[in-house]
Amino acid sequence: MSEYTVVGQTVARVDAVEKVTGAAQYGADVHPPGMLYGKIVRSKHAHANIRSIDTSEAEKLPGVRAIITQDDVPSGRRVFATDKVLYLGEPLAAVAATDPDIAEEAAERIKIDYEVLPVVQDVIEAIKPSAPRLHGDDTKDGPNRREISGQIRKLSRDKENDHSDEMSKLEAELEAYPDEVYYNISAESHTEAGDVEKGFAESDVVVEDTYVIPRVHQTYMEPHVSVASADSSGKITVWASTQGPFAIRSGIAGTLGIPLTQINVIGTTMGGGFGGRFGVIITHVPAVLLSQKTGRPVRVQMTREEEFTDGRPAPGCVIKLKTGATNDGRILAREALAFWDSGSVSGASIGSTIRVRGVYKIPNLKVDAYGVHTNKSGTAAYRAPGAPQAIFAGESQLDEIAERIGMDPVKFRLMNMREEGDAVPAGGSEPKVGYKETLEAVADAAGWWDREADENQGWGVAVGDWTNGCGPGGVYVSVHEDGSARIFHGSMDITGTDTAISQIIAEILTVPYESVTIRRGDTDSAPYSTGSGGSVVTFTMGNTAKLAAEDAHQRILELASERLNTNVDDLELRDGAVHIVSAEQPKSISLGELAAYSLSTTGGPIVGKGSFARQASTPALAAQIAKVEVDPGTGRTRVLKLVASQDVGFAINPMAVEGQIEGGTVQGYAWAMMEEMQYGEEGNINPGFVDYRVPTSADLPTVESVIVEVPAPNGPYGAKGVGEPPITPTLATMANAVKDAIGIRVTELPIKPEKVVDALKSNGHGA
Amino acid sequence: MKSFEFYEPTTLAEASRLFAEAHAQLLAGGTDLVIGMKALTETPESVISLQKIPGLTGITTEADNSISIGAMTKVREVEVSGDIQQHHTALAEGASEIGSIQIRNLATIGGNIAHASPAADTVAGLLVADAQVDIASANGERRVPIDELFTGPGQTVLRPGEIITRFRLPSPASGSHYIKHKIREVMDLAFIGVAAAVNLDNGTITDARIGLAAVAPTPIRATEAENLLNGNAPTPELLEQAGEAAAAGCSPISDLRCSAEHRREMVDVLTRRTLQHALERASA
Ligand SMILES: Cc1cc2nc3c(=O)[nH]c(=O)nc-3n(C[C@H](O)[C@H](O)[C@H](O)COP(=O)(O)OP(=O)(O)OC[C@H]3O[C@@H](n4cnc5c(N)ncnc54)[C@H](O)[C@@H]3O)c2cc1C
Repeated sequence: MSEYTVVGQTVARVDAVEKVTGAAQYGADVHPPGMLYGKIVRSKHAHANIRSIDTSEAEKLPGVRAIITQDDVPSGRRVFATDKVLYLGEPLAAVAATDPDIAEEAAERIKIDYEVLPVVQDVIEAIKPSAPRLHGDDTKDGPNRREISGQIRKLSRDKENDHSDEMSKLEAELEAYPDEVYYNISAESHTEAGDVEKGFAESDVVVEDTYVIPRVHQTYMEPHVSVASADSSGKITVWASTQGPFAIRSGIAGTLGIPLTQINVIGTTMGGGFGGRFGVIITHVPAVLLSQKTGRPVRVQMTREEEFTDGRPAPGCVIKLKTGATNDGRILAREALAFWDSGSVSGASIGSTIRVRGVYKIPNLKVDAYGVHTNKSGTAAYRAPGAPQAIFAGESQLDEIAERIGMDPVKFRLMNMREEGDAVPAGGSEPKVGYKETLEAVADAAGWWDREADENQGWGVAVGDWTNGCGPGGVYVSVHEDGSARIFHGSMDITGTDTAISQIIAEILTVPYESVTIRRGDTDSAPYSTGSGGSVVTFTMGNTAKLAAEDAHQRILELASERLNTNVDDLELRDGAVHIVSAEQPKSISLGELAAYSLSTTGGPIVGKGSFARQASTPALAAQIAKVEVDPGTGRTRVLKLVASQDVGFAINPMAVEGQIEGGTVQGYAWAMMEEMQYGEEGNINPGFVDYRVPTSADLPTVESVIVEVPAPNGPYGAKGVGEPPITPTLATMANAVKDAIGIRVTELPIKPEKVVDALKSNGHGA
Repeated sequence: MKSFEFYEPTTLAEASRLFAEAHAQLLAGGTDLVIGMKALTETPESVISLQKIPGLTGITTEADNSISIGAMTKVREVEVSGDIQQHHTALAEGASEIGSIQIRNLATIGGNIAHASPAADTVAGLLVADAQVDIASANGERRVPIDELFTGPGQTVLRPGEIITRFRLPSPASGSHYIKHKIREVMDLAFIGVAAAVNLDNGTITDARIGLAAVAPTPIRATEAENLLNGNAPTPELLEQAGEAAAAGCSPISDLRCSAEHRREMVDVLTRRTLQHALERASA
């Protein structure tokens, strides 16, 4: 029996009814009277100088109310491109009209005179001396060619092991221009611990490979949308589909030079985010500018195609990785060189390259990562940003080592996993985390130890680690005369966090879950709240809610002590009433009675306040096993079994936790097997769901989730953030299963049928 | 979407007259047309619905087992029809591959064919059924064999004002099968599509027909391969030769979905497999 009554139980989500009945109000449901329709005018080239923008023909169109360009941005902060565009779909202007078709036609009528420039879309091409330079001399302080080519040469020494000669070709080209400065490098990150050279020298087995991971889109169901309304006093209201209303408020204020308190952001129900819904400029700022200019509310809503050309997807990358181990299975050294495709601006999660370290004791580690500019839109977070890419490389290579030394992949991982008290590379020591418990749990649940495989079937395992973030938050809780409680806060709920917060409040106030309701405020009314990303909400707002409930609890006991003429220390809140602990005659008073009484006291109504910002989080592990069958004739892979375990600390709502595990695992599967933003001469060539494939339920068996609970010291009831970890191992899980099935190591995702057929052919198999 | 005039004629003659005008488009289920109009790749000035014209729907079987399918018949109806499943299995299987059930309840077989996508999922099944296409206009009627209907991607021999009314499937084969090469299990477009139909006469293949989709500018028959098969007993070697001949006879392109080479290889692999299935059905 659990010591808790509400947390740890599966309960229906607080928003279940409004979602199921269609009553939930999404961004595109917002329609203030007099609303105009905005349309963003986008570059038709991936790289070009802009000679002129002529809006005169568009202005003549009846129904057009405003056309804005960068000249209309009073703060001068870059909202629209002016003299140069760096990617297909980059915003150049925006139109507001009385009808969406008119807005679209007006956008078409705006004449833009381009001087087309050469395009570069591949990170390896982009760092070659011959590549077009996106930012001219802007990044002169970057590393020089000698440094990067030296790193490539060092990693390429053991060339026989590397299946791709891409890197050596690159090295030769870089050598030809030894002293020139790099231009398309947007950022760099370097980490070193121990001595990798020594580690490789002491290794019995050294494996080296180059992994290529494509850019993928978060493909949330609801495209970006915002409705802005500027009133005559200058007050601005924005209905925004966003993960972080407070971040949008400060973003708009900063971009447009408007005082914070002049902006109210109302977060609308969100059709998914996955990290991609924090952008300020994408729709919110143009909507505000158009509303300011027209004096009418304006909606700017992206189409799915615009999502692909001007969304902020997850970066692709090329990772060259080398690992050395002893024959008895100890990993001695690992070295990574990564080039992340950050698109036209910096910001790709290059720091996540360090995740090639995994949760293993690796005494010698060296990681060098670079962000590279290409003619694509910028990138943003996507569920554990950067981790799936790095972990794909790390966990794929671990299986290659395990194979060469003839060790079971699960045992090999268990043997190398860090343990409580081990030194952590970043400093400090390893906390108690269920690394081994989680991997053992998935192995047991999947039947790993007595696994069987027919011809062309195989099993793959991989693990991925991630640590939830933490942010500021505030929560109020009030207790009413009928004994019910009402929560008020400002965080967006994407994954069921309002449900978890409600459970925590109910637990502490000892009332049924059903008698707790929750209300989210806008930025004008609610206390400051962190954005809903980085798996922070249950950790942060859960802790905040706990504090608020405990504060209310305190007031409840105070009131009861007045009412029952007893010392607070003799009182206990249980089953929705305060009881005298040691009374010979049981005496109690209900929460409702206390709330009613409170209305006539000096101390006033029961209002609990919680405010919280920072606490150390504890890492979480996701471990997965897949069984697949590959058709060697067509190269298609069918998943027969997919089991996912995760150390979640404590599952406040097990059903919601399983939902996150399943969702993340499926997104990882999709990245491994089918998702990929493809680029042609002039930009993204699959901007829609016909050729950008996300899986449907027909593609997978039911994901079997296994919850492992090793409590996090600072989490509410021991809970860790659960949203992000499950996507991190799946890419490698799938690649490892395919390798086991047909002996083909796919290092370049996705694992499309054509790639498998070609690899089989070059291995001399064929259909 | 651009604005347009909308007509709902109740006779074929009226529809044909309206459709003969420049910049007119027919509306059947709308699952290709409306998407094109939203994407502005289709900007008709008038849209003429076929939905109020009687006699264009339904699947009827004649005494000789020949089957006639109205152009406005929903793809879902083709998929679930017992007669089609039994006598033209490849066509029923092709129909079942289109989009989702929701889409198949809107989409018509006439629209799938008239849209003339080389990747249309009912086309290979109609090719191996040796279907005839009935076409009507204000000037009268004509009948065209399905393999002469297409002239290029999105292009047919249909003249202004001509409307497809029915598909006639004369001689059922005793075994047929359709395979769609795709990445996603459902809701994917064909990387390639292969249908095969055969009769067996005392262990000898007769009337072999192979239909290929998305491997040439139009859907095609693999006649070389068919000739190899007819009059011979099915052996693994023969099927292999047929697969190779089918692959040699197509002219696929490389695009964002896959390379021409992969398409050609899949024609080889899947021709063998569809033939194998069709033969099993024929001998069952
Ligand atoms: C989500 C989705 C998934 C899809 N998946 C698939 C798939 O997997 N496989 C596949 O093959 N297709 C697929 N399609 C395409 C489409 O559903 C089919 O091609 C469908 O059969 C078209 O029929 P319709 O009745 O909707 O045609 P409409 O859109 O109404 O018409 C299409 C064209 O045909 C012309 N036309 C229609 N009827 C006639 C007639 N009787 N005579 C002359 N011309 C005519 C029209 O003028 C128009 O140009 C998909 C579409 C969607 C939206």
